[in-house]
Amino acid sequence: MTTADVVIIGAGVLGASAASRLARDGHRVVVLERGAPGREGSGTTAGNLHVQAVHTRRPGQAVPLDSARFAPLQRAASDLWEDVEDDLDASVELRRSGGFTVAETPEQVRELHEKQAWENAVGITTEILDGDAAREALPQLGPTVAAATWCRHDGYANPLKVTPAYLADAVRHGAELVPFAPVTGITRDGGAWRVTARTREVRAPVVIDVAGPWLHRIAALAGVRLDMSPVAIQMHATVRSSDGLPHLVQHIGEGLSVKQVSAGNLLVGGGWPARRLDLDGRSDAGVDSMVGNMALAVRILPFVRRLRLLRAWAGPLAATPDEMPVIGEVPGSPGFLVAGGTYAFTFAPLWAETLRCLVTGAKPPVDISDLGPERLMQDLPEKKR
Amino acid sequence: MSAEAPVTAASRARTVTIEVNGRPVSVVEGVSLAAALVGDRTWTFRRNPVSEEPRGPFCGMGVCLECEVMVDGRPGVRACLTPVRPGMSVRTAGAGEGS
Amino acid sequence: MSLPEERDVVIVGGGPAGLAAARRLAAAGLSVTVVDEQPELGGQYFRRPAPEVARVWGDHRPEGRRLIDAVRAAGVECRTGHLVWGVDDDGRTLLVSDPAERPVRLRGRYLIVATGAYERPFPFPGWQLPGVTTPGFAQHLAAADHTPVGERVVLAGSGPFLLPVACSLLALGVTVAGIAEAGRPYRPSLRALGAVRHPARLRELAGYAARLARARVPIWQDTVVVRADGRDRVTSVTLAAASAPARPVRTVAVDALCVGYGFRPQADLARMLGCAVRTDPATGDATPVLTPSGRSSRADVYVIGEAAGIGGAPTAAVRGLSAALDILGREGHRPRAGELRGLAADGRRLERFKSLTDALYPTPADLARLLRPTLPDTATLCRCEAITAGEVRRTAGTAAGDVNATKAWTRAGMGPCQGRECGFAVSAVARTSSDVFPSRLPVRPVAVATLLEMAGEGGPA
Repeated sequence: MTTADVVIIGAGVLGASAASRLARDGHRVVVLERGAPGREGSGTTAGNLHVQAVHTRRPGQAVPLDSARFAPLQRAASDLWEDVEDDLDASVELRRSGGFTVAETPEQVRELHEKQAWENAVGITTEILDGDAAREALPQLGPTVAAATWCRHDGYANPLKVTPAYLADAVRHGAELVPFAPVTGITRDGGAWRVTARTREVRAPVVIDVAGPWLHRIAALAGVRLDMSPVAIQMHATVRSSDGLPHLVQHIGEGLSVKQVSAGNLLVGGGWPARRLDLDGRSDAGVDSMVGNMALAVRILPFVRRLRLLRAWAGPLAATPDEMPVIGEVPGSPGFLVAGGTYAFTFAPLWAETLRCLVTGAKPPVDISDLGPERLMQDLPEKKR
Repeated sequence: MSAEAPVTAASRARTVTIEVNGRPVSVVEGVSLAAALVGDRTWTFRRNPVSEEPRGPFCGMGVCLECEVMVDGRPGVRACLTPVRPGMSVRTAGAGEGS
Repeated sequence: MSLPEERDVVIVGGGPAGLAAARRLAAAGLSVTVVDEQPELGGQYFRRPAPEVARVWGDHRPEGRRLIDAVRAAGVECRTGHLVWGVDDDGRTLLVSDPAERPVRLRGRYLIVATGAYERPFPFPGWQLPGVTTPGFAQHLAAADHTPVGERVVLAGSGPFLLPVACSLLALGVTVAGIAEAGRPYRPSLRALGAVRHPARLRELAGYAARLARARVPIWQDTVVVRADGRDRVTSVTLAAASAPARPVRTVAVDALCVGYGFRPQADLARMLGCAVRTDPATGDATPVLTPSGRSSRADVYVIGEAAGIGGAPTAAVRGLSAALDILGREGHRPRAGELRGLAADGRRLERFKSLTDALYPTPADLARLLRPTLPDTATLCRCEAITAGEVRRTAGTAAGDVNATKAWTRAGMGPCQGRECGFAVSAVARTSSDVFPSRLPVRPVAVATLLEMAGEGGPA
């Protein structure tokens, strides 16, 4: 058996970034990963850095997220992303080329003004353009765009580079990464936790459960019942396009995000549901969502019609019933921390720093008092997901 | 080679004329566009978008997508799966580079 | 969106297997549609020459013409130029795009996947040069288009297929400068094939051998390509002993180089339909799990021909007929007298022949071991994304032997061919568990305009 200061369960972007922060702080960190690192939600996400307020309801989502509450978190994450490449001494294709969130109906235009108030309150500068001004700024926008919010901080980082870069940094600073080590047991052992994985057993006073869509399954091993609602959403990539799309394009009222990645392909997403979520196998992309998402992309960016769709894929995500992030120590389980939820990629540097503070007893960079796991611990009937 | 290239120069077979990068080329009726271009000694069909190296047909059965050319203004046409039609206008990425 | 068209049987792939199944099923009165991406039926084996080529230079496989005519005469609906690119969310409706890239939806009470095989390349420095092709492409150019791939050609790789391709090139007047075979199948020489006791199909190989000997085409055994050079087109190829790739033994001037290491089943559609697959221990290829008559883990889906595992055209035809008879049995039809017994005997005979030829040549697992050290770090491994072998090797450690993590972190296999050309080599180089990239929707790139039309928002731009 190994002893460590912190066991991190999950080598996605949250586990990798937290491992890097904690290892740099001198903690002995072991990262246990059920498969290959960074392959699930963190390897399938679009890589958007959402700084302006987002669309609050992905297709099929029951409860809208609280966009006003998101704003200060987005602001703090945005500031931290600025230093990620220097800090890791690695290129993650970070690009702050700004983004547009478009509106098509009067109701949606009103929403743009409403969210601008939240943005401005936390110091996120945004500008609202009418349809013609938006088309002048981004000529690819289609005729149905009635208005658009411009935020110069919106951006992109390559998710396939971010997680590996954080992991490499963590390993450089002494962390141990154990891939293909699914955790099968978590028990209390004196004042510490004993974590059993397929190939390893590690004893540590602190366990961080950042297992993404499997977060509730890991928590259950430690006797903690959390009500999570994992989902699988899908992404689409077109062939390389010679039309340059310099900015991220989103929609305030429908599920859409479009951008061009460094390789030249367009990435089209927006939280459309995959054909199925399979936590024990591979989640599959579906045709209905593909058709719906691409049709929406063409309505907002008509040039997409001329392209060919290269591939679609699905990624499983942690999500909560109230659609807000969860981060904090589990009451009654000292040293057992959880972190997850949607938009985890944007929030990764922030949640990594927050977890470091929670482990060391320092004051977190943002107020997370209302985001803890308590709210998910209602005495619910056993759910099979 | 062009003297013996059967597809472009055969006297016994009926031919059609297609346009390759603005130049008329006579080819045997109904052959694949990939064969027509190879018979015309055009091997650079496209350039790799990453490395910009010249690329030509590789698998000949629609899998590798290295033989994609523009036909009558439509990009991404796999030449190996496309029979020639009289008057079709073909553009390769090698146009104007003497390839 | 238009309603799916319903058939008793939809067959994807009009090669020897699909055609054999289609003819038998239609003869029994079932409604059958064959869908094929190529402009004419026949698949790769019976690849049809243009009518004008056939008129002037003859048909290399007239039996293919007869089979296609019989299939059409039996009332089979033949949809050529139609690409099956996916499966709808119901798990059974095939999503197709027609020659004008308009969407078609096809549904069969039975689905037969006869999607054939593709060649197994292995990279070397310069394999991305124009003029470097698969042997299959050279064969199609010669047989279907009467066009030589070059004037002076080297064939390389492994397997019996190199021999007929060399003969086709000779027939067109091409100089075949030599054949490099990675294994040592022809002991002591190619002529020895003729002396082998096993008749019929091995005699076919011996026939090729005799022709190559008459033309004095050298066969270099235990020899692999270590590089190809040229600027806009290949001009030379350098060969070395497989065991000593760092010491080249000869450089040959060529204007075309055709390299292939046999074939891999094209099972993407079967996988997308949810048919169980296993990794074949001998080949490392994802191979559908099937009953002897080709029924998959899904009772309504059959996989036949090369897609079911490489066996050659006669085997493909037997598999096609077996699947047809299984379906007919389930539909309450009785087989013709002796039909089942004859088929079983054919199957056994072909199986024996296949194990004989397989034993001559290195297995894909042998090839992976043999070829891995021949590939320097600087060589392009993934030709779509221009990723080098070195980039894949460097990530292999952290990707922990997972072929998908290797793909994600390097982009190798992420391009338009979806890793079909480099997948075998990525697995070999990254030393991943013998696995292949998962099949992804769409199977081939599909026009966004086609999707829009499915959404009911207008036709192609």
